[in-house]
Amino acid sequence: MYWQLTSSGHLPDEYDVAVIEGAATTGEHIETLRKVRETAAVVIALGTCAVTGGIPALAGTLDYDARYGVVYGDGIAVARGRQVPVPVTSVIAVDYQVPGCPIDPAEFVKVLSRALMGLKDAIPVDPMCAICKTEENICFLDQGKACLGLVTRTGCGAKCVSLSRPCTGCRGLSPEANLPAARRVYADKGLDPAELDRLFDLYNAAREVVL
Amino acid sequence: MSTVTVEHVARIEGHGTITVEMESGVVSDVRIDVVEAARFFESLVVGRRFDEVSLITSRICGICSPNHALTSLKAIEAALDVEVSERTVLLRKLLVYGSYLQNHATHLYVFAAPDFVGLPSVFPLAQSHPDIVERALRVKKTGNELTTLVGGRPVHPVTAVVGGFTAEPSASDLVAMRMRLESLVADTVATADLFSSFEVPDFATSGEMVALAAADDYAIYDGDAAALQAGWSRPASEYRDYITEAVVGHSNAKHSTVDGRTFMVGSLPRINLSSAQLMPRAAEVLSALGLAVPSLNTFHNNVCQAIELVDATERCVAYIDELLEAGGSSAPAPFAVRAGFGAAATEAPRGTLYHAYGIDDAGMVVRGDIITPTAQNLGNLEADMRAFAPTIAGLPREEFVLAMEKLVRAYDPCLSCAVH
Repeated sequence: MYWQLTSSGHLPDEYDVAVIEGAATTGEHIETLRKVRETAAVVIALGTCAVTGGIPALAGTLDYDARYGVVYGDGIAVARGRQVPVPVTSVIAVDYQVPGCPIDPAEFVKVLSRALMGLKDAIPVDPMCAICKTEENICFLDQGKACLGLVTRTGCGAKCVSLSRPCTGCRGLSPEANLPAARRVYADKGLDPAELDRLFDLYNAAREVVL
Repeated sequence: MSTVTVEHVARIEGHGTITVEMESGVVSDVRIDVVEAARFFESLVVGRRFDEVSLITSRICGICSPNHALTSLKAIEAALDVEVSERTVLLRKLLVYGSYLQNHATHLYVFAAPDFVGLPSVFPLAQSHPDIVERALRVKKTGNELTTLVGGRPVHPVTAVVGGFTAEPSASDLVAMRMRLESLVADTVATADLFSSFEVPDFATSGEMVALAAADDYAIYDGDAAALQAGWSRPASEYRDYITEAVVGHSNAKHSTVDGRTFMVGSLPRINLSSAQLMPRAAEVLSALGLAVPSLNTFHNNVCQAIELVDATERCVAYIDELLEAGGSSAPAPFAVRAGFGAAATEAPRGTLYHAYGIDDAGMVVRGDIITPTAQNLGNLEADMRAFAPTIAGLPREEFVLAMEKLVRAYDPCLSCAVH
């Protein structure tokens, strides 16, 4: 086992399973990802940043270069090699995904076990609303409050809603999500349909970025 | 001229490179290049709504996420003129201490300890010293559980929102946590004993030391900023008046100064300024270890983290008692959205953390400013490295590198936070 954060050793030459966290935010990251993909039998994208780009990908929603000026001004130049953050999944092919910010450790263990046993990916595909019903949560939309459970990939046990906070979409878009219908639900509940897309951008701003 | 380079220093959060240039045994330049990619969080919040800010800033760090969330909530509450209940403050303090247990256990045992027992990582340590690693895991696990109890999960708290909490732990869960914390005291005392047994160089920083401080509390959630040597104390919300930030060419993290001097933040400055406010057991441990405070020896930051672990366990037990006895509500306080500006600070595990936001009348963020502990420490760390390197220049390369890395790790830097 090799874990860069905890060890003084160098990156290995090859991997049985490479677990990659984070969004790619520099050219060096892109190169490293491609190198790891070539030398790894299995790649797991771990966490929302690696899967959808997550919060860092918000940097791509406005003028990316203007952000540099906001933070560092126009004096000494730093942050060379920077690029609009993109998820690992848009740079290289990955074999398994563990979405969520933060991840659910039990889901990671399950995915890692499947990877080691050579089983297929078993990422949940349904939107979260169904879980909320089984958890007997009170629906935010019914109270006229925005919630992203309608379109977000399930698998978290509706944790946030169970703690009385609306879903913020950190597990990414459910492949079963019906966005036009979800926008109509917002309108029916007295919410601005555009608010659905605005809120969903928080963890999913890179969903249309393909490298 | 010979150059010693350590690329991607291990066992710190994030990527940094140490470079030491020497000419015939004399050190001519020392620097830490923060190569961790710039993250632009201060601009990411712009254009988002005020109630999304803590969700965004929480993601600056996987360790001190509660501190980023709470500091931004405090700043937003200052901007919107929201007054939170005492119960909310108590719960928020528990959340902060959850991150102290998590951070200090990780830093001390996983990042720092291998240096002192001569191992490359914590994994062989688990083979050679299983008792030590098991103790580390107990402390870290309790930190995770405390953060989960209050925030809903071990990182990126769900329940903490503008004005209060969306959900509260049950009384029975609080009682269970109280018992866990009490049983952890022995582990934290053993941690302090272990780290005080490790020999550290005789060294004094030339920089200032700054931390939040209060007359009647070990200030981690509130308090004024205090400077140890200059002796001043100022409202933390006015941090822009006393901290100067500058971009330096070799680092994606800015460097900070107060009164034109580099300075240190973290456990050592906190204990230096607030040793009189430590809980009884922690004060006992401090005096039993014979650590004379105030100390200007940067290397003492490790043992001060351990003393803070003792303090945290005892203090959280007291907070839980207060929560169990006192009534009140932590439900979000009502407020109206309006235009405003607010700045606030808390003590994150690694030092003082400042956030400030400007909001327009629709509640959208127009300006964000964040200064993280490591961004404050980097200038002082470099100054310490410059002063320390010549004193060990005669050592064989490998020992020289290890000694320099120990100094870097004593600061417990989080370079990911530094380049926020």
